[in-house]
Amino acid sequence: MTDSTAVKKEISKNISRISLDGAGYVDARYYLNDSSETILLYDGDLEANDTTVESGIGVRVLWGGAWGFAATSDLSSLRECFDKALLNAKTASKLVKVPLFMGDRDPITGSYSSPVALDPFTVSLEDKLGFLTRLDADLVDDFVLKRIVYANFQKKKIYFQNSDGSEINKDLVNVFGMMMVMALDSDGEMQRRSMSLYSTGDGTSGWKMITEPVLFAEHSSRIKLELKGLIEADALEFGRKSVILLPGQGHLQVHETIGHPLELDRILGYELSYAGGSFVNLDSFGKLRYGSDKLSASSYGGIQNSPGSFGYDDDGTPERDYLLIDRGILVNALTSRAMVNEANEKSGREVFSQSGGVARATAFYRAPIDRMTNVNILPGDDGSLEDIISSTEEGIVVDNPVSWSIGSNREHFHFGCEIAWEVKNGEKTRILRNPTYQGHTLEFYNSLSSVGDKSTWRVELVDNCGKGEPNQVMQIGHGVPVLKFDDVIIGERK
Amino acid sequence: MLDANIRKILMEVRDQAASEGIQATLALHHEKSHLMRVGNSSISLNTSEDLTRLDIEVTDGRKQASQTFLGMIEGTETIRNVLDKAVEKAKAAAPKTYDPIPDEVEESVQEETQYDEALANLDPGVKADAYREIFSKLGANYNYSGSWSSGSVEVYMITTANKNEVYHRGTDQLFTVVLKHPGKKWELINTQTGWRASDFSVEKTVKELGRLIPVYEENNGYKVESGEYTVIFGSDAVSEIINFSVFTGFMGRGWEEKQNWTSQNKPGDEVLGKNITLSDDPFNSQTFMFGFDMCGRKRKHFPLIENGVLMNLMYDSSTAARYGREPTGHDTRSMGIVMNTGDGFECPLEAVRDMGRVLYIPALHYMNLPSRSKGIFTGSSRFNALLIEDGKMVSPIFSTRITDSFQNVLGNVSVISSVPESVNGSNTYGRRMPVAVSVPSYIVAEGVKITDSADSF
Repeated sequence: MTDSTAVKKEISKNISRISLDGAGYVDARYYLNDSSETILLYDGDLEANDTTVESGIGVRVLWGGAWGFAATSDLSSLRECFDKALLNAKTASKLVKVPLFMGDRDPITGSYSSPVALDPFTVSLEDKLGFLTRLDADLVDDFVLKRIVYANFQKKKIYFQNSDGSEINKDLVNVFGMMMVMALDSDGEMQRRSMSLYSTGDGTSGWKMITEPVLFAEHSSRIKLELKGLIEADALEFGRKSVILLPGQGHLQVHETIGHPLELDRILGYELSYAGGSFVNLDSFGKLRYGSDKLSASSYGGIQNSPGSFGYDDDGTPERDYLLIDRGILVNALTSRAMVNEANEKSGREVFSQSGGVARATAFYRAPIDRMTNVNILPGDDGSLEDIISSTEEGIVVDNPVSWSIGSNREHFHFGCEIAWEVKNGEKTRILRNPTYQGHTLEFYNSLSSVGDKSTWRVELVDNCGKGEPNQVMQIGHGVPVLKFDDVIIGERK
Repeated sequence: MLDANIRKILMEVRDQAASEGIQATLALHHEKSHLMRVGNSSISLNTSEDLTRLDIEVTDGRKQASQTFLGMIEGTETIRNVLDKAVEKAKAAAPKTYDPIPDEVEESVQEETQYDEALANLDPGVKADAYREIFSKLGANYNYSGSWSSGSVEVYMITTANKNEVYHRGTDQLFTVVLKHPGKKWELINTQTGWRASDFSVEKTVKELGRLIPVYEENNGYKVESGEYTVIFGSDAVSEIINFSVFTGFMGRGWEEKQNWTSQNKPGDEVLGKNITLSDDPFNSQTFMFGFDMCGRKRKHFPLIENGVLMNLMYDSSTAARYGREPTGHDTRSMGIVMNTGDGFECPLEAVRDMGRVLYIPALHYMNLPSRSKGIFTGSSRFNALLIEDGKMVSPIFSTRITDSFQNVLGNVSVISSVPESVNGSNTYGRRMPVAVSVPSYIVAEGVKITDSADSF
């Protein structure tokens, strides 16, 4: 059965059938097309020229407070797939201490399409290679030992239906780009400088995004220049100083220490055996001082041109824009329907008034779990990067992650970055190599002393967030300004 | 099991392609996966996936392209269509500056030695019953979570170079349970792995966790101050350190491009302690054994480190082509890394009886590399970590960060357990492909750098 109209009718019939059998909730995600194209130039050689095309259906059934899930790409066996999901749910319901429930919801009929000026899948490989090869040529220099230029294009056409009576169509397009140069420093250690395609959160998208010079290509000469500085630089010494995070680093700090600890499934203990838990608990909301007054963070599923924007989540909840942290106080979490119901029931009060719309699955063959959308830091009123540097006595400015290692409850962290610039008496001075910094999450955010204004804010795109069992890689965005933290441990003890 | 008809039509398309002068590799990956996830002492998710992927790679002189298809394979036409797309992409590709090495199945292989029908068809109800029994035996007052993944994988590959076929069928499982104290917040974990259903037993988990619960119940957590410590690394931690050190030290590409922590060394140099011996061994039954790689090469026992001396570097096909080397059978996602055991006591507590105060860190969470060139890694303890004094378990420790180098940690190992242990390193990002390492059940390393620790559980 390859006629998509017939498949949709079959889905409808099966959802009704399983619901009438007594299921608490049923949904199906039919991926008509899930394509991904990866192009990688390595020292100019086309090392990856890969396309993946997937299609199939994933079915979720809630029975007796437990989820069953089944997936198949064989659309001639749709009925069997629904039956398997039901059987799995029935088996799961044999061991339920805390029953899950989705709650009643009015049906929604909707659709969402990523804003696309030019679909990257309609651009020829020759044109793509022409653009990327020119970019690679810009990275060539005598001192550059290795060059990487990478692009990834994703396109998903998804039909969703659930037992609420909701029907949603989604056409999602994501574009990712990255370039990197590497060279050996005086100790024979490889240094690198990179730049990833970012978004301003507006405008058009698709192929036009990666070819917009300011978002990507025009940074090639800057990263080369910075690499040249790096290979001649001294290493960062151990100490305690202010750390100024550029968005290239700040987004990962936010991702790891605000995004993940505020995913409600982690807070409720559903990720303990793999990704870990959270230092946040249900009593923390409305009370916990997560950071200084300067810290306000939001979850906003509606930013244009971000892979964290998708219209409706995989529970059928429309995108939302809401605060997670309001002037330092923790006020909300990244939530989905079943997790909200469980948290409220467990607390005996309404901790969360509604789902945050974060239930997402990476593919038809994975079940939705809580994934951050666009978790952002709101711009502040401390001016530009230059303003923040000029107000800093002693510190470093850092950009782009090399390594990240986070405690299992997100309570502490260690980051390595590509580059640091020393700041002394309000002036950015020399470049320093091998910068690292570490801290404890709450202490760190409470030391937030400056937040850059809108001119410093940009949406960094993440294409490789891993979570869940079976494992799922998800794409998201983070809008972040320049951020300054005081009295942070930097470098490594001798 | 892969439908024999699919293999037949794949061979038909291969024959067509060969007759048309197309140079291609065609592979099928079929998985039947099941995973039960547990949270809040309940089964939170029970999943099944039955998926077949078709991978076709085409080489056109110096140009290459690959196309992967996961959907309904309705006959020769579907496969031919995927092949044609790969051919078209290869034509449009930019040529490389070197000649790719053509894939070729050296010799037909049919391997099923690690396939267990009982595990392939394990009833999810058995898993539910096992979790219930564990909860009941260890105490219903704790909060349990975990996961139990099991399934089978089939890989079938042919190339247009000849009519040889390789086929692999295997089963694997990874069981995990986490026990959390609802009030005190500490967490304990137990895992089991193997390729047979009978590799799992409820009793093993109950015994292991039962041994640790009293230490956690009766003692407060201990905050470890920064400094240098003698550390017993358990098998999971050893596996993490070894895996990272192998991938960033002994892969040919990183070495050629001076990114490895071994890049300033060459084979024959001593890079680790004299008591460290490592190899990639596709015949070690504690790993998931794959006798061929995905370019069709037979895999063989491959020494990496012998008594601390770097022996060989691993070259995948494209790195070998690029740098004029011989491929070594390492175009695979399932290596069989083995660290040789030593002569240490079976019990790690016996091994450190005369060492005073030491830390026991059985696993490292979220390890990463601040400096690959220098071999510096960082990661933190999580479950089951203890302070040991004179060979006795004294108290649990809070999450403790280690930031050190491979050279220091694996250069200062004073005791290596005599017992090998299999550690399952499989992930299920994308397709199922089991991988495990065989490492000593513990090592004792001196002068390990502790750089931070949490203030509570």
